[in-house]
Amino acid sequence: MTELNQIDLRVLATGNKRAWDTFVVASTPLINAVVRRTLSTYRLSEEDVMDAAQDVYVRLCANDFRLLKTYDPARAGLSTWLAVVARSSAVDHARRRRQGTTPIDDVPEVALAVEDRHVEKLKIPAGLLTERQTLILKYLYDEERDVAEVAQLLKIDAQTVRSTHHKALLRLREHFKEESP
Amino acid sequence: MSTDRITQADKELWQRLATGPVASPEVSDLEFAAWLEGRLSETQAARIEAAVATNPEMRRAAMDLSEILGMPLPAAPPRMAVRAQALVGFEAERAAPRHGWLRSLLGLGGGFALPRAAMATAAVMIAISGFMLGGGLGESYAKERYGNSGTVVSSQNSNELTAFFASDGI
Repeated sequence: MTELNQIDLRVLATGNKRAWDTFVVASTPLINAVVRRTLSTYRLSEEDVMDAAQDVYVRLCANDFRLLKTYDPARAGLSTWLAVVARSSAVDHARRRRQGTTPIDDVPEVALAVEDRHVEKLKIPAGLLTERQTLILKYLYDEERDVAEVAQLLKIDAQTVRSTHHKALLRLREHFKEESP
Repeated sequence: MSTDRITQADKELWQRLATGPVASPEVSDLEFAAWLEGRLSETQAARIEAAVATNPEMRRAAMDLSEILGMPLPAAPPRMAVRAQALVGFEAERAAPRHGWLRSLLGLGGGFALPRAAMATAAVMIAISGFMLGGGLGESYAKERYGNSGTVVSSQNSNELTAFFASDGI
């Protein structure tokens, strides 16, 4: 089976049927996985998965392959870019399907959660933490992700995540005069 | 979550803090993909990370995609590929006829050339047989030349026309 990185995108963007068929066969496992994962939080049906996947392909070939032509292999791999496009398309599909018809019990709790505005929080001054430090703290505390997961995402080793986290907390404690236990 | 270096005190501290309202910069699909692959410079990555840090949906997307891209993927349902393939037309439909009408009529180069040729031969044989049984051109010619004379026919025509006009009172 042809791999995605073996697809000739210039031929594909001309509307060549054979190239399109090859591209579809090579890309469906990825599109399927991304769409399925994205829709899993929305509790949609199998038919929705099929329709959302179809939406991805419609986007790619619409208007004479306009979206596909924006892809630049020098900037990102085709698989990664396709995954991002598929995710975005699937989220749009889920939002359209959910509009005004979903009972509140069917909406995932995470989608309904709102920040408790009554709790006064101390503002972290801009520039106190780097973007990466903020991101790592958000993943570790707000998303409750594992250090290994964050390391895999950021393409760094787990020890770097731990040390970035440690330095960020030192800065916060120093700024807010907190004592570590 | 790995808690080997993350204490409850750390967590409580973080929960008492709030990041300021930061305008989330626009991130294109291509930029996001490049960031996921770790292809960006530190400055470029910082811009994306600021956006991801302020947007819970982007944080979930980044984590989901990172996981999916790093694992073997199961096969998709065949129906998914069939439907997607149907979005782009067939070359045979889109291409102009390349062999001219005669070739397409005779089916030359196609998969049904032999049956078509047999049918055409049979049709020609039947036509010839019918023509021969009917006497052919020779008998028609003889009738035209030596049969009833043309003057009789023309006088008959003339009489019919006169009767027609007379009936209309002309």
